[in-house]
Amino acid sequence: MNLHLSSLRSTSGLLYLSALAAIPLCAQQASTSAPPTDLVLKNATVMTASHGTIEHGVVWVHAGKIAEVGATVNAPANAVVIDETGKWLTPGIIDPHSHSALSNDVNEATSPVTPSMMMIDAFDNRDKALYQALAGGVTTELLLHGSANMIGGQAVVIKNKFGLSRDAMLFPNAPRSIKFASGENPKRVYGSRNQLPSTRMGNFEVMRQSFEDAKVYMAGWDAYNAKVAKKDATAVAPKKDLKLEALADVLRGKLYVQIHCYRADEFLTEEAIAQEYGYKIRAFHHALEMYKVAGQIAPTGTGIATFTDWWGFKDEAWDAIPWNAVMSMRAGVKVALKSDSNDHIRRLNQEAGKMVHYGGATEDEAIRMVTLNAAWIIGVDDRVGSIDPGKDADLVIWNIDPLSTYARAEKVYIDGDLFFDSSAPGFGTPHFNGAMHSAGGDGSDDEDEDGE
Amino acid sequence: MTNFMKITSLLVSAFALSSSPAFSAANDSSQSPAKKGATLAITGGKLLTVSHGTIENGVLLIVDGKITAVGAAGSVAVPKDATIVDAHGLTVYPGLIDPDTTLGLTEVGADAMSNDLSEPSDEIMPHMHVADAFHAETELIPVARLNGVTNAVVAPGTDDSVAGQDIFIQLAGRNRDAMILGRDVALALNYGADQRRRGGRGSAQFPSTRMGLITQLRQSLLDAQHYEADRNAAEKKSDKPAADKSAAAGAKAADKAADKASDKPFQRDLKLEALLPYLHGERPVVVGVYEAYDVESIMKVAQEFHLKVILNHVTRSQEILDEIAAWKVPVIVGPIYELPRANERYDAVYTLPAELQKRGVKIAISSGEAGGPGGAHTVRNLPYAAGFAVGYGLPYDEGLRAITLNVAEMFGFGDKLGSLDVGKTANIVLANGDPLDVRTDVKQVYIDGIAQPMVSRQTILRDEYSK
Repeated sequence: MNLHLSSLRSTSGLLYLSALAAIPLCAQQASTSAPPTDLVLKNATVMTASHGTIEHGVVWVHAGKIAEVGATVNAPANAVVIDETGKWLTPGIIDPHSHSALSNDVNEATSPVTPSMMMIDAFDNRDKALYQALAGGVTTELLLHGSANMIGGQAVVIKNKFGLSRDAMLFPNAPRSIKFASGENPKRVYGSRNQLPSTRMGNFEVMRQSFEDAKVYMAGWDAYNAKVAKKDATAVAPKKDLKLEALADVLRGKLYVQIHCYRADEFLTEEAIAQEYGYKIRAFHHALEMYKVAGQIAPTGTGIATFTDWWGFKDEAWDAIPWNAVMSMRAGVKVALKSDSNDHIRRLNQEAGKMVHYGGATEDEAIRMVTLNAAWIIGVDDRVGSIDPGKDADLVIWNIDPLSTYARAEKVYIDGDLFFDSSAPGFGTPHFNGAMHSAGGDGSDDEDEDGE
Repeated sequence: MTNFMKITSLLVSAFALSSSPAFSAANDSSQSPAKKGATLAITGGKLLTVSHGTIENGVLLIVDGKITAVGAAGSVAVPKDATIVDAHGLTVYPGLIDPDTTLGLTEVGADAMSNDLSEPSDEIMPHMHVADAFHAETELIPVARLNGVTNAVVAPGTDDSVAGQDIFIQLAGRNRDAMILGRDVALALNYGADQRRRGGRGSAQFPSTRMGLITQLRQSLLDAQHYEADRNAAEKKSDKPAADKSAAAGAKAADKAADKASDKPFQRDLKLEALLPYLHGERPVVVGVYEAYDVESIMKVAQEFHLKVILNHVTRSQEILDEIAAWKVPVIVGPIYELPRANERYDAVYTLPAELQKRGVKIAISSGEAGGPGGAHTVRNLPYAAGFAVGYGLPYDEGLRAITLNVAEMFGFGDKLGSLDVGKTANIVLANGDPLDVRTDVKQVYIDGIAQPMVSRQTILRDEYSK
């Protein structure tokens, strides 16, 4: 399959290049008129994700932001009004764990500590995975480094404005996140080369040593800055080191720490190390055994981004149960669902629906797991993730209840602009009509030997 | 080992609680069987019969593990001594059947020793019998059963072009023999890029291309035909000890006759012999293939040898759907979650079941995820795959049929399974809503008319950590 996919990839790559040569760049994008300044979507069942569901609700969008939501709104008379009778309206779906569109460069698996890798450098804004996710209602993604390394690279947060330029797809001023990993992947990758780490003991010692190095580095800079402050002419700046600088930023609290971690004992160890070195963990990702220790983790404020029902693919996923998300939520942990997959990212709404089945989440709680709580994991919950005045108008129109198996995303707005319309011909992408790329693989960080 | 001991102790406590003395193996979930001749009546539910529509407020009678009556309340006489199961507010439907799984051939995906999926020594392995590897006590089966899957086809992994012979199982039973309803029910073929595995293109070993794979397959089928002729000739000789060098036998048979003369018995070739039932069209060949051009290549071979084909996947064959329909072969379509290629519309695969069904093709749907072999850990999601197809245009009844009756019919169990009809095995599911919806909770599963404990390793963990 890999062979096959890579051959596809090069074919489409060639296609893209030749298309570029033949047509000016602007022709790659579908011509589109600017979105209306005022847009009103009325008569939909509005799942706000923050304050319940409004039957026959109205959402007024002004200049790309949500201006008002309710049974009625005070939009200006010249607003463009669309009747969405019979449809459902939710905030854009948010995936807090994706490896899509990274040109298959998910892991810099040459050292267990690579915090200066920037995922933005591998971001391919024309990858088909982005389009396929958009058609599933996904408007924001956290694109993470893989799990080969104990300390991987720094994530990029995107808005799924498929068809716009690379820079225009970046989520403006999103917090920086860094990916850590633990357990089987690092020990397999480095253990198979007879390197440190080969065990969980090695895994955690590699982390501790990294932070010891970072502390020395920080001390050097602190001393220098103190001298500079005192106008000491003998002050000599230490060497800037990208790796240590990134680790120092973890200790300075400037990076959200996102940790790939499956087992209950490892959550406890990770929290202990975080406490020892003075940083906070934003979320455990996968977190399949959180139900065993949720009561203990809840007070730390660390959230989880978990699968619904993947299990048994490796030893550390053997105790996974589909009730994990709801049990952890009931114990007070902030819970989001995520894809870690170019496949599942297309139907996160249904993954949320499963939470009604497994554990009896309310529809409100379920939709929050793929919107507002996912936004919180990324640190953008003040801007997206719910339908509230002042938030970005990232909205999805569904044919029916999005938690149903039969739900289809019909229209997707980002910042009030229509980026997907299933009724439109071709791809259904008003801003894109060029050639897509394919990075190959399934977009998981657990794929293949090196956690590809 | 610690894990094992932990779970064992959890299991022991669960068994103690369950008040069922029958738990002696993971999948021996049968409670003490109902008394011989006793009637079980499931009343008041919404019956999705699959074969003859929906019956609101229906009655279903079960005696000795078989359905003895199906109808609307009032139209079916419930015996006075029947045990009544009140199904008001519940949906009642036949147990789901997954047409493509690896249940019992894998436990932990990444743990090689718990996997018996593919035999990598050769591409042509028809003499591999899934029945020989099927691990009846797998923890995966109760997990699948809890969501209403009661039967499945188990096929080998997909590394070989002729991978081996499938079994048809029931997801409950005391041991392997009780669970395998059909041994060697189909031959698993695979064709595409994946099977040129010996280094693929550029490898020094044959076959490294599609040409090699097809030639190798064709030669194997010819060899099997030739083998059969030899065997028949040898049998004839053994019937008539005097050397008969007349007409039909030919030179080879003459050699065999010489062997016979020296009392050397005819040597069976298990590999070639395994192909014979399929060359005779006695059982189906399930051909796993994705791309349109691969479908066309492999169908040429299948037609040349008159194989009884069930196509599997065809997720990248959108441009030849009319051709597929014209072949009049059933299709296991999907995984519906297979990713479309770059520059295809997002729903290119989602709409495939509907497009095939519209053309009159008999379809089944499997639980597999994109790219892999048949489902194992994902089998519980079978109804959602069918629901997804319904979301993209497949009529609802056809969606349910694609994971019940159609599968039973494709694999020779159409008279026993797949619908709520008199005389069929009482594999029945009670759920609190639409079986294809992700939000629906399965409340009770019956297999052979016996209520299965709604317990898996996962519910035990759930309950243990909910305390």
